[in-house]
Amino acid sequence: MKPTPLIDSVFLEKLERLTIQWQKSFAGLVGGHNISHFAGPGQEFLDHRQFHHGDDLRAVNWRAYLRLEKLFLKMFQVEPRTPVRILLDCSNSMTTGGVCKFDYARKLTAALCYVGLVRLDTIGIQPFGNGLGDSFLCGGGRHRFIPAVNYLQDLKPSGKTNFFEVARQFITKYPQRGLLIIISDFLDDTDCERPLQYLADFGHELMLLHVWDPEDRDPPWEGQLDLTDAETGAVIEIGFDSGSRARYVQAFDEFARSIQRIGLRNSGRYVGLPTNTTIEEAVFGPIARSGGIQ
Amino acid sequence: MFFLNLSLPEFLTILGSISGVVVALYLLDRMRKKRTVSTLRFFEMVQRPPVLKHRRKLQQPWSLVLQLLSMLLLLLAIAQLRFGSPERSSRDHVLILDTSAWMDARTGQTRLIDQARAAARNYLKALSPGDRVMVLRADVLATPVTVFESDRFKIEQAIDQTQPGAGPLNVQQALDFARQAQKLHSERAGEIALIGAARVSSEEASLASAPANLRVISINGPNEHVGLRKVSVRRSVAEPDGWEVFVAVENYGTLPHSIPLAVQFGGAPVASRRFDLKPGVEESAAFRFKTRAAGWLEARLLTKDAFPQDTRAVLELPAQQLVQIVVYSDEPELLRPIFNAIPGVQATYKPVTAYDPNIQNGIVLLDRFAPPGPPQTDAIWIEPPGNKSPIPVATTASKVKIKRWRVDSVLGAGLRASDLEMPSAEVFRTSPNEVAVAEADAGAVVAARSGNPKTIVLGFHPVRAGMKYELTTPLLMANIVRWMAPDVFRSWQLTAGTVGTVDAQLESEADPSTVRVQTEDGKVLPFTVEGKTVRFFAGAPGIVRVLTGDRELVYSLTLPQPGDVVWKPTGVRQGMPSRAPYEPSAKDIWQWLAVLGAAGLIADWILFGRMRRGWVAATQMIPKMPWRKAS
Repeated sequence: MKPTPLIDSVFLEKLERLTIQWQKSFAGLVGGHNISHFAGPGQEFLDHRQFHHGDDLRAVNWRAYLRLEKLFLKMFQVEPRTPVRILLDCSNSMTTGGVCKFDYARKLTAALCYVGLVRLDTIGIQPFGNGLGDSFLCGGGRHRFIPAVNYLQDLKPSGKTNFFEVARQFITKYPQRGLLIIISDFLDDTDCERPLQYLADFGHELMLLHVWDPEDRDPPWEGQLDLTDAETGAVIEIGFDSGSRARYVQAFDEFARSIQRIGLRNSGRYVGLPTNTTIEEAVFGPIARSGGIQ
Repeated sequence: MFFLNLSLPEFLTILGSISGVVVALYLLDRMRKKRTVSTLRFFEMVQRPPVLKHRRKLQQPWSLVLQLLSMLLLLLAIAQLRFGSPERSSRDHVLILDTSAWMDARTGQTRLIDQARAAARNYLKALSPGDRVMVLRADVLATPVTVFESDRFKIEQAIDQTQPGAGPLNVQQALDFARQAQKLHSERAGEIALIGAARVSSEEASLASAPANLRVISINGPNEHVGLRKVSVRRSVAEPDGWEVFVAVENYGTLPHSIPLAVQFGGAPVASRRFDLKPGVEESAAFRFKTRAAGWLEARLLTKDAFPQDTRAVLELPAQQLVQIVVYSDEPELLRPIFNAIPGVQATYKPVTAYDPNIQNGIVLLDRFAPPGPPQTDAIWIEPPGNKSPIPVATTASKVKIKRWRVDSVLGAGLRASDLEMPSAEVFRTSPNEVAVAEADAGAVVAARSGNPKTIVLGFHPVRAGMKYELTTPLLMANIVRWMAPDVFRSWQLTAGTVGTVDAQLESEADPSTVRVQTEDGKVLPFTVEGKTVRFFAGAPGIVRVLTGDRELVYSLTLPQPGDVVWKPTGVRQGMPSRAPYEPSAKDIWQWLAVLGAAGLIADWILFGRMRRGWVAATQMIPKMPWRKAS
């Protein structure tokens, strides 16, 4: 049976008018999301100037020479080369709930990847769990989208989440600063705020896409429950009633606010995405409103 | 307080079963559930100790109570719980209206059916308002007009539209139907009220048994009546253009009557007779008259009666048909006596030189000659030339003796003569589709071929040969003509009778496969054959034909027949009932019970069910934190 595509073509057409935005100017790089006025190698034409000895003959405008018998050199815009990296949570906690959060996160990753490829950004997809997994780098146009999708479809969730280890490995592996999009439920046994702060302090711009299932925020059960942790396998027996549920929701919201604070405090962005929101609604709704995509 | 639909043990059994299922489902729904979650960190924050680890405790006991109560209410609604005494609940009556033909009789200015309708309406008023009534029209068939109906307007409408039928009353069938209806469809059986004159046949009166809940409201009709019982017409056997008329008259009254009968054909009187009838006596008379023409035969009793419908009967007689035979012979005088002896035959004699090949109807007889082409109609060949015979001639033999006749066919019926010697005769070579009617030692001397047209070939001249003075000769020719024109010689009888079960008497035992019973428009009626009797049923007035091989019986079922006697059952209630005193009937509350039961289930769903969980979840899904744009 033919596998269901992650994203349908109609949605892809809608994505083509979008651009991934970031706010920082990263050291050693030109651009940002604004167009550079420096001339240099690139695709977009900027201006003409007089030819000087030593200039690249390939940039001479020969049509103008035939008409005016003078040598003019074409100048092009320098293209930004800020790397966009997507950290995709592949831990077991992403598999629980009514709608699989992992599938949701994969689709979201694919959508962002396509937006970046259409704008000739360089996109790195980096799965993580207990540590960093094998990454996938793509760039240079939309024709590289299919391999990216194949890569995403081959990913399997497993293991625990360890944000400390992930942050450590990431900083070691990617010294070049850039935009870091983290798609995760941010559920770690230990605190995930400090590792996120390390990444921000290292110079990355954070876009935190917090994915949760409605059951994660508001468990629909009542009565006597035997609960098993999807990552650790730990089991607890509790009595759960409406009062417990209210406290649970309050605790979850507080946790979400703490993640949001990390993002905003470091000039980044935070978007909470329940899985009952469609990918299209998420991209053109909360993510677009946050300014992460425009 | 009582249940209408269920007995108490049935109710308790069903309630117990449902309660058991509800409690089991309830416990199953509330037992400890195992779930896999993304993290335990938030559950650990809100954790409280589990209640009795290994014991199921009833959670939300009010939900269970509400569910059981709702089920109880719904079951009570299904059982149709009623307040009050069972004796006060509504009853179901069957109102049998006599719609037999006799109900069209008049007493004074009103017909019996009018009186019956008025009595039915009065009976309706005498019943309790909650009682339900089924109206049943009864004549030869019992026809329900309404179901058990409590709407008085519909019942009165059905009563007002009731008209007398054409048949007699079949009271036993009507009573059986009413009993069955009360047994199958009635919640609480009431009375069976028979309203009408209840005139039935003597056999019916002796057989009919009255149920215990029968009430008879008699409509007294006129006592004195004389009517035609049967009128029958058939062809005369002796005279081809003669008719025999049979009329039976019965005195249904209690006094002797002297009634003249007039029989007319086409408006002209053909016979008359005066009947002196004693009470309850049936007398008959037979007449004869001649006519070849078609027309209406009317038998009329010259009396003024309260029930004039059966004092006159009209029957349509068909024209007498003749078989046209053209005889081509140079010696016609030889054949003339034969055809003069056969009734219903009109023979024309012509010389062989006047042969007309264009004759397409009737029969042609070719006496010792062969036309250039074969005839287009049925033909009798006598000693055809050997090389032009329609059935090949094998040889011509001399001193031929006829040994056998084919007596099982129409052509040889009744022919027994043997050892008839002819000086010479042609012997035919018959094929499988041809019949040897008469055979000699050398072979067939008379052969026939059926089909269209029919052909028969005689290898000898019946008058010139040794058969000249034998009875076989005219019988053989009569058989030939009857075989070629069976419709003309078919025995025909027309009888005026009444609708219902008709017994047709045949002359001999008939094979059911050769019998057809059909109505005027060609519809086939089912029938049974017992010996010489063909029995069929006709529920509506009309003409029914019974066709056997050579016999046609026509029944004009238009003569209404009043019953012989008035059926008076004993041990049953008679006359109009006294008006039922007003008493509150048992109160029907199943509708309210059903509503309350449904409301209870809905309340449980809202208060304790998934709707509440969904609603609470939806309200809490609204983020309380200030989502704001990060940039």
